Amino acid sequence: MISSDVIRGYNDTMILYMLLDGESYGYEISKNIRQLTQEKYVMKETTLYSAFTRLEKNGYIESFYRDESFGKRRTYYRITPLGLAHYKEKCEEWKVTQQVVNQFIREW
Amino acid sequence: METISVYLDNMFAGLPRNPDLERLKRELLSGMEEKYLELKREGKSENEAIGIVISEFGNIEELTAELGIGLAGTEQVVPVLSEEEAYVYMAAKRSSGLWTGLGILLAACGVALFLVLDTLFENHSLFLDNESGTMLGLIGMFVLFAAAVGMFIHSGMKLGRFKNLEQVFRLPYALKTTLQRGQFHYARTFRLALITGVCLCVLSPIFIFATIYVNDDLVPYGVSAFLVSAAAAVFLFIYYGNIQGAYTKLLKEPDLTPEKKEEERITAAVNAVVWPLATALFLFTGFVYHRWDINWVIFPIAGVLTGMSNVFHIVKRKNVS
Repeated sequence: MISSDVIRGYNDTMILYMLLDGESYGYEISKNIRQLTQEKYVMKETTLYSAFTRLEKNGYIESFYRDESFGKRRTYYRITPLGLAHYKEKCEEWKVTQQVVNQFIREW
Repeated sequence: METISVYLDNMFAGLPRNPDLERLKRELLSGMEEKYLELKREGKSENEAIGIVISEFGNIEELTAELGIGLAGTEQVVPVLSEEEAYVYMAAKRSSGLWTGLGILLAACGVALFLVLDTLFENHSLFLDNESGTMLGLIGMFVLFAAAVGMFIHSGMKLGRFKNLEQVFRLPYALKTTLQRGQFHYARTFRLALITGVCLCVLSPIFIFATIYVNDDLVPYGVSAFLVSAAAAVFLFIYYGNIQGAYTKLLKEPDLTPEKKEEERITAAVNAVVWPLATALFLFTGFVYHRWDINWVIFPIAGVLTGMSNVFHIVKRKNVS
């Protein structure tokens, strides 16, 4: 089980990644994250929605309504150019972080 | 499904109401419901699915921190009343009112039965002598009394477990609006019941006047009819009053001042003394002195006395403030 402390700084990055290939909505994003990580990481509901709030406030994503079948209305999110720039930054940051931490990881 | 929405309601119960939070809650609900349905499709049981959805909810403080909402310290201490509890309480209060009202009606019928039988055998000396008639009436009365006491105990026990409502509690916002709407719609019924009850009360002595006018020997029948119709009025007051009382209790403002509490306590104490005393006096003067023609005025007097005690407290409170 992954400690949530470690991964906290990259929840936003995961969500942005999920939006790279097109718009999506809350449950689909969380389901895809779960599948992509082979169920090793399950994003909590509150984590997901506080991330949406934060990302939208920062202008990294934008939300819009879309009517689904059976009269259901869903909130969809799409990544903004600003969000894409932020995502690229985070990728660079992670590469460095990974390199740094890896210096201290001994393979047994 | 219901469980999930109740769970969310409780999670949000301590938070202020604003459109942002409302939207967020709707989003969370639809996400959680979708997850639940998918788990069910995968063959999970109802309980498993709900368990997983709730265990993956996370921590509400994560959201409030993001939104810059502090959970007020005092607010968290006050327990939140769940929808289920509130409706169970409403049902118990209603049923308790029904049984108390029926008990009073039955007790009044007991006295009326006794009066009728006693007079019937005294005046007409049917197939039984006078003594046996009185005996029969007494037995009937006590059987009905016993049933009434049983009903009182039953109704008291129904409400016994709602002691937590004496403490301060908070209602989830949605429940509060539902209850307010309920009370609004109920007001009409309540008013109608009150008016009917008051009319019954005011008109019930007519039975006594009528029998006095026709023949003094008939007065006990008039008194019986008076008792039963007055008890019917009391039934209306208690049953409909209890339903109204449940709304008032649930919707009352949490900051009940000590003076107000004291006032409610005194009013209850005055009622508990005056009414049984009036009834005892009524029965005593009736059976011992046979003054059924006039002793019913005890009840209006008791009514005025309890009313005056209420007014006295209101005036006193006004003076203090």
